[in-house]
Amino acid sequence: MNLQRIVVIGAGTMGSGIAQWFAQQMCYVELVDNSEAQLKKALTDIHASWDKLVEKEKLTSCQVIQMKKLLETKSLRKVSKDSDLVIEAIIENLEIKRSLFQELDQYFSSKTILASNTSSFPIGLIAEAVSVERKKRFIGLHFFNPATIMKLVEIIKATETEASLCDALYEWFDSKEKKPALSKDSPGFIVNRVARNFYGEPLRIAERDDEERMKEIDRVLKEVGGFKMGPFELMDLIGIDINYSVTCSVWEAYKKEPRFAPHKLQKQMVDEKRFGRKTNRGFYKYD
Amino acid sequence: MTNVKFKNLLINFGFGTKAEKIQLLKANPDKEIYMDLTCYDPGEFYFQYPQLKGSFAALFCDAEKKVEVHLRERSEDFFKKMKELGFRPVETSIISCGFIFPRTIVQIINEAHFALEEEVASKKDIDRAMKYGVNYPKGPFEWSKGRELYVLTLLQELFNKTQDKRYLSSRLILP
Repeated sequence: MNLQRIVVIGAGTMGSGIAQWFAQQMCYVELVDNSEAQLKKALTDIHASWDKLVEKEKLTSCQVIQMKKLLETKSLRKVSKDSDLVIEAIIENLEIKRSLFQELDQYFSSKTILASNTSSFPIGLIAEAVSVERKKRFIGLHFFNPATIMKLVEIIKATETEASLCDALYEWFDSKEKKPALSKDSPGFIVNRVARNFYGEPLRIAERDDEERMKEIDRVLKEVGGFKMGPFELMDLIGIDINYSVTCSVWEAYKKEPRFAPHKLQKQMVDEKRFGRKTNRGFYKYD
Repeated sequence: MTNVKFKNLLINFGFGTKAEKIQLLKANPDKEIYMDLTCYDPGEFYFQYPQLKGSFAALFCDAEKKVEVHLRERSEDFFKKMKELGFRPVETSIISCGFIFPRTIVQIINEAHFALEEEVASKKDIDRAMKYGVNYPKGPFEWSKGRELYVLTLLQELFNKTQDKRYLSSRLILP
C-alpha cells in the first residue's frame, strides 16, 4: 500500500493533528472544513508548530518548507477525487456523519478508502450510508490526541471491511512509526473500553468527594503503578463531563453491564458543574 | 509464602490463601507482624489480629520493587527492613480490599481479558493500544503474565465483599 494523497475532513483539534501528521510523512494532504476561519486557524497553528519544531531542531527547515507545500486547505468540492484515503474527523453526530459519507461516497473514486475517526459510533452504523461496494473500503481509523505525538492508531474493521485492507493499513502505519492496533467494531473499540476501569475503580476506592483521598490515590497509582497521571487529575484534565459521557455511552452500548457502570460521584460532579480544570473545580480546586 | 524473621518482627511475603495467612497470625501472637495482603482486605485482618501491625501489596511489584504499604502506626524499623530487602515502600493511609494499585490493575486486566474473549483484538494489540494510546507503562497482559492466580483471587475477594457483578472474572484468566 502506498498512501500519497490524503483528505482530512474537519479542521478541529483532531482533524488538524491528523492532517499535520500525514504531511509529516510527506503525503499530500488536503484539509477540509465548512468554516473558512477554522481552516485558516488550523493552518496557522500547524505552521507555527512546524516552525517551533525547527527551532527545537526536531525538523530541518528544508523538511518544513516541503511539508508546508504538501498541506493545503480546501473546500470539499475542490479536493482531488482520486485521493487514496479520506479521514473524517467532524463533530460526533451520527446523522451528520452519515450524510457526509453519503456525499463522499458519490464524490470520490471507487478506489478511495473512506475512514472515520469516530470514538463513539460503531463503524458499521456509519457505513450504512455508503454503497455496498464502498463498504469494503470503509474503515475506522481512531487517532489519539495529540495525533502528531500519540503513536496509537486503532484500525477498526467493520463487518464488511476487506480484511486485506486492514492488514495493508496496519503495515503502512507500522512503517511510519505509528503503533497500529486492529480492533473489531465493538463499543469503545480497545482503549475507550479497557481504560474505563482506570477511572471507575479509583472512584470506588475513593467512595466519597474527598480531595485528600483522591490525591493519595493519584499519588500511589503514579508512584507504584508508573502511570504518568493519576485518574482524578486526568479526569479533571479531560473534563469530568466528557469522561462521564463516554462512560455512560459505553455502559449503554454494553446493555448496562455492571463493569462499565458510572459512579455516583461522576454524576454529582456533572450536576454541580464541576467539570475539572476548565471550570476551575473538579475533583481538585484550581486557581 | 516466605517469612523473614527479625528479633521481634516477622515479615510475611508471597501469595497464600486467607486461611494460611490467618494460621500464621495465630501461630505468632507475640510477634509484630507485617504481611503481604495484596489479594485481601487488610481491614478485615486488623480487626481480629492486633499483632498484625501493617500490610503491603507486593504481588504486582515490577523490577523497581515499589510496594504499597499500609501501617497501623508508623514504624521506622519496618521501613528500614523493607529497604534492606530491596523494596521501596510507598505508604498509603487508605485501607481498601486489594489496596489501590492491585485493585485498579486487576480490573483493567479483567476487562482486557473480556475484550480478548469477545475477539475484539489480539493480546498484542490490546497491550499496544493501552501503552501507546493512553501511555500505560505496561499492557494489561504484560502486567498479568504469571500473576493470573492473584488477579482471580482478588477479583473473587472483591466480589465476595461487595456482591457487585463488576468483579466477576473473565473465563480466559486461568491460574
